[in-house]
Amino acid sequence: MSAAELRLGAVAYHPRIVTIWERFRTYFADAGVPTDYILFSNYERLVDAVLDGTVDVGWNTNTAYVALDHRAGGRTRILGMRDVDRDWATVLVMRKGQQVGSVTELTGRVLALGSRDSGHAAILPLHYLAREGLDVASCRLLRFDTDLGKHGDTGDSELHVVRAVAEGEADAGALSAAYFSAFRAESVPAVADLEVVWRSPDYYHCNFTILDWLDRELSERWSRALLAMDYDDPGLRTAMELEGVRRWYPGDREGYASLQAAMREQAMLP
Amino acid sequence: MTVDPEQVAHRVDAEHLELGGGLEILLAAAFERVAPGGVLEIRTPSRAVALELPGWARSTGHEPLEQIDRPDGHVVTIRRGSSKRILAGPLPAREAGPRLRNGELHTADWRGGDPPAEPDPFAGFAPLGSVPETGGSTHRWRLSRRDSVWADDIGELVDQASGQQWDASRDIPWDTAAGLDDTTERAVAQVMTFLAQNEYAALYVPAGFLPQVNPQLVELVLWLGSHIHDEARHIEVFTKRSLLGGRHGYALASTELSLSTLLEEHDFTASSLLLNVLGEGTFLDLLRFIETHAPDPATAAAAGLAHRDERRHVHFGISNIRRSVSIDPDMVGPLVTAAETRAAKLVSLSGLSPVLVESLTIMAARSLQPADLSDAAADVRSLMQTMERNRLRRLQSCGFDRATARHLSDLHTPNLM
Repeated sequence: MSAAELRLGAVAYHPRIVTIWERFRTYFADAGVPTDYILFSNYERLVDAVLDGTVDVGWNTNTAYVALDHRAGGRTRILGMRDVDRDWATVLVMRKGQQVGSVTELTGRVLALGSRDSGHAAILPLHYLAREGLDVASCRLLRFDTDLGKHGDTGDSELHVVRAVAEGEADAGALSAAYFSAFRAESVPAVADLEVVWRSPDYYHCNFTILDWLDRELSERWSRALLAMDYDDPGLRTAMELEGVRRWYPGDREGYASLQAAMREQAMLP
Repeated sequence: MTVDPEQVAHRVDAEHLELGGGLEILLAAAFERVAPGGVLEIRTPSRAVALELPGWARSTGHEPLEQIDRPDGHVVTIRRGSSKRILAGPLPAREAGPRLRNGELHTADWRGGDPPAEPDPFAGFAPLGSVPETGGSTHRWRLSRRDSVWADDIGELVDQASGQQWDASRDIPWDTAAGLDDTTERAVAQVMTFLAQNEYAALYVPAGFLPQVNPQLVELVLWLGSHIHDEARHIEVFTKRSLLGGRHGYALASTELSLSTLLEEHDFTASSLLLNVLGEGTFLDLLRFIETHAPDPATAAAAGLAHRDERRHVHFGISNIRRSVSIDPDMVGPLVTAAETRAAKLVSLSGLSPVLVESLTIMAARSLQPADLSDAAADVRSLMQTMERNRLRRLQSCGFDRATARHLSDLHTPNLM
């Protein structure tokens, strides 16, 4: 194997991450940008590793990206993101028949949230619901802080959210539209009697982040290789399916403004 | 993003369907009528469905475009994704299915001709008539060339095998086996032990080939499956008969040596010759002898039912070799070599085990009286002659000339199987 030109860091939130990156590592080598990967147990360590140069590229959640960009003084660049990352959204679900006309009707009710470091299941719901006029302080927040450090990647806290709503422990619950669809597709019993009552504006989710000073020719070559991955290539399909991507896009900062604002409001950016 | 109504390629009214309640089925069918990049418009009276559709669209590879709330309901537009849902070409157009014979669908009729000569060895477990998706399988089927494994009447043989199944627990009159004298019972136990021991090899050999067969040659898969099942039942029935009288037999080392050489043959057609034609062929005569001379109806029934199965197996072997040799006459050389190689490994065997000869004789005599033994010994000698005569006949049916047939017959194991 040729020496890696680039070291990429990812968080091992599931054993499939090894399957994905073993395949992608071969792909990048074949594409002329040999890339090695290093796995971390949490996004905080990954952000540290990008900042101290242990890895060149971080495969970040939106929360990790905003934290990294903040600590790097805005001197980061995005090399790519998945199709699904470009219009990620949070939904609020309730038991069928409880549909509310406006989220302000949830004043004083119980709201279930996912892990507190999850952009989609905790940080952004609070931000958007407040902007839509809900007095969040009046609500009792039922938080499921499972898998902290994984930023909601595992979906575990979101499963707790839908179960809490289905069982009547909470009046409404926030989770990503993506996970709600996945629970539907997997016929998770708890979602059978739930419905979506609100959907947030779209925002961005994960991205590949580098620090601004990484060699531009190299980073662009890597980005081009990433974007050239073809979901219809039988040799790549399984890994891309596991990664939840059908097509890679270049990515930009635009869709992170709301999370940046939310993390400031919630004192998550020192 | 605003969608121009003229961009909409297809419209569907969800009525009261919800996601998780059948709407996704309707949408999947609707997207089949929209080209990649085209726009599908969905109307729904449910605000909850309208709010959930963008997430569903993205998770299924499409692009959510717009949601419009109107007094009479909600309109959601979704652009069809460009990636293929299944990595394969379109399914063929509907065609006439296989013909029925008096309402029956026979295996010989289901594909309307021979299978392909060289089916794709990487097509995985694709059932007959299916379109395999690319990337599903990386396994290479070793037995993938039709002409090296096929038999012309394999479809009929598969149907016969299904139609002639029997039950070793219930179809044998087991209670008729009681009451034999100790000497006869001991002889029966030895003969039954010998049969069961040999039937293990008859099971393990096709079982070894089965997972190598390309599923595109499905008739062969079914055939080997039935062969294995038959042999399992033979092991069962002969073991049961052996145990029933309370006597025990020896699992002979000479038999073990002979059978081990069958397991060492990894060429399908050579194995067909050694096991199906020579081994099981010779067993046909042995089973007939046991059926005729059995001291009790249970033993006779077990041998008779096994004989019916073995006839199919021998028929397949002859049919398989006849086809191979007629397509490629040069096959004769390697087949003779396989028999010679096996015989070379069995030089230490010099005739049928005396233990088995004695047991067959006593079983047929049903006593140790000299007159009875004399008749029975003559019958056993006659059996050996019948075996040789029929072995030659079967080999000639395979397409071997008389001299080659004689040579192959002479090479055959003294163990019979």
